[in-house]
Amino acid sequence: MNQNEQNFDALKKLLQLKQHEVPPPGYFNHFSGQVVSRIRAGEASYSQSMTEKLQAEAPWLVSIFRIFETRPGLIGTFATSLCLLLVGVVVFAERSEHASKNLIAISEPTAPTGNAVASLSATPLVAAIDNSNSGIVASTNPVTSLQPTATLFGQSGGSTLFQPAGFMATGH
Amino acid sequence: MSEPVPIVDSNTPGGMLEGDLVKHARRGDLEAYDELVKRYQQRIYATVYHMTSNHEDANDIAQDAFIKAYSALKSFKGGSTFYTWLYRIAVNKTINFLKQRKNKHHFSLNDLDFNTENNPDLVALISDKTPVREVGLTELQKKLNEALMKLSEPHRMVVVLHDVQGQSHEEIAEIMNCNIGTVRSRLFYARQQLQGYLSEYAKLA
Repeated sequence: MNQNEQNFDALKKLLQLKQHEVPPPGYFNHFSGQVVSRIRAGEASYSQSMTEKLQAEAPWLVSIFRIFETRPGLIGTFATSLCLLLVGVVVFAERSEHASKNLIAISEPTAPTGNAVASLSATPLVAAIDNSNSGIVASTNPVTSLQPTATLFGQSGGSTLFQPAGFMATGH
Repeated sequence: MSEPVPIVDSNTPGGMLEGDLVKHARRGDLEAYDELVKRYQQRIYATVYHMTSNHEDANDIAQDAFIKAYSALKSFKGGSTFYTWLYRIAVNKTINFLKQRKNKHHFSLNDLDFNTENNPDLVALISDKTPVREVGLTELQKKLNEALMKLSEPHRMVVVLHDVQGQSHEEIAEIMNCNIGTVRSRLFYARQQLQGYLSEYAKLA
């Protein structure tokens, strides 16, 4: 061991030679200026690789990628579940669209709207008015109330739509 | 007669403490960062140069390390000194560079300064204790660099940081993110390796 230390002493002396290796004169006068000008020019952001950026900004994403790299089976599972989710969303969207179409079809008036009065009387609301003799009739059917109305002189109201109040006092 | 004490203005970057400079630099103050670069440029450059034995590569890597450090300043938590943190960035960049380059070493050695011939240890090595007495310092420099490049990157790094740069085992352990025992064992192994490569030039006294 002592001999080793002596050996290393000689080696350490030899390694001193490295300390005498110096860059060209004046090299460090411009070094910091070059660094700062590169930063100013925005080279820092360009030279930074995508991985480094991700590492700095979203380390959790990088760790997920690393897990995927080591376990390829997980990628398949992840992709399959994503596909299933997508299909599920599409099916749900189609079903809800179909249901809303049915609802509209049911609520549309069957008779042509040429005669506004006839049209009005065909609605359940008007039927309720006709048949009831007393009390207050409440209607919560918004679709039936959005009907073209007759004007004062029996003409069609055109595009004018109104929603009558749902509470009507009748009778006594 | 005492020497005049230089006036240090703590409001200018030159007079600021490292911590204050880092705070200013984090806010985007490039003057403060310029001062930090000036403080550590020689040590960072020297470490990278001794690892690569190439001035141009060392220049590029050292600059990249400073730029990377600036862009990552916000992630600097202050758990270690800025100097250690910066060193770590430079060391990682250098090791990545050397791994990419693999074994394709291209020397671009710096000149020896004029003090070399006044160093008695070195003069003794080339005049008395080497069998090849006519060998010059430049030749010895080349042989030394070739031997260093034969070491693995972690072993070379430990030798450079300890025997050339004069860092302590503790500092090296922090920089290289390993324990002190690892540093010591790497240093011992690397010296043994070097001893073997340079047996002609590093004879026993």
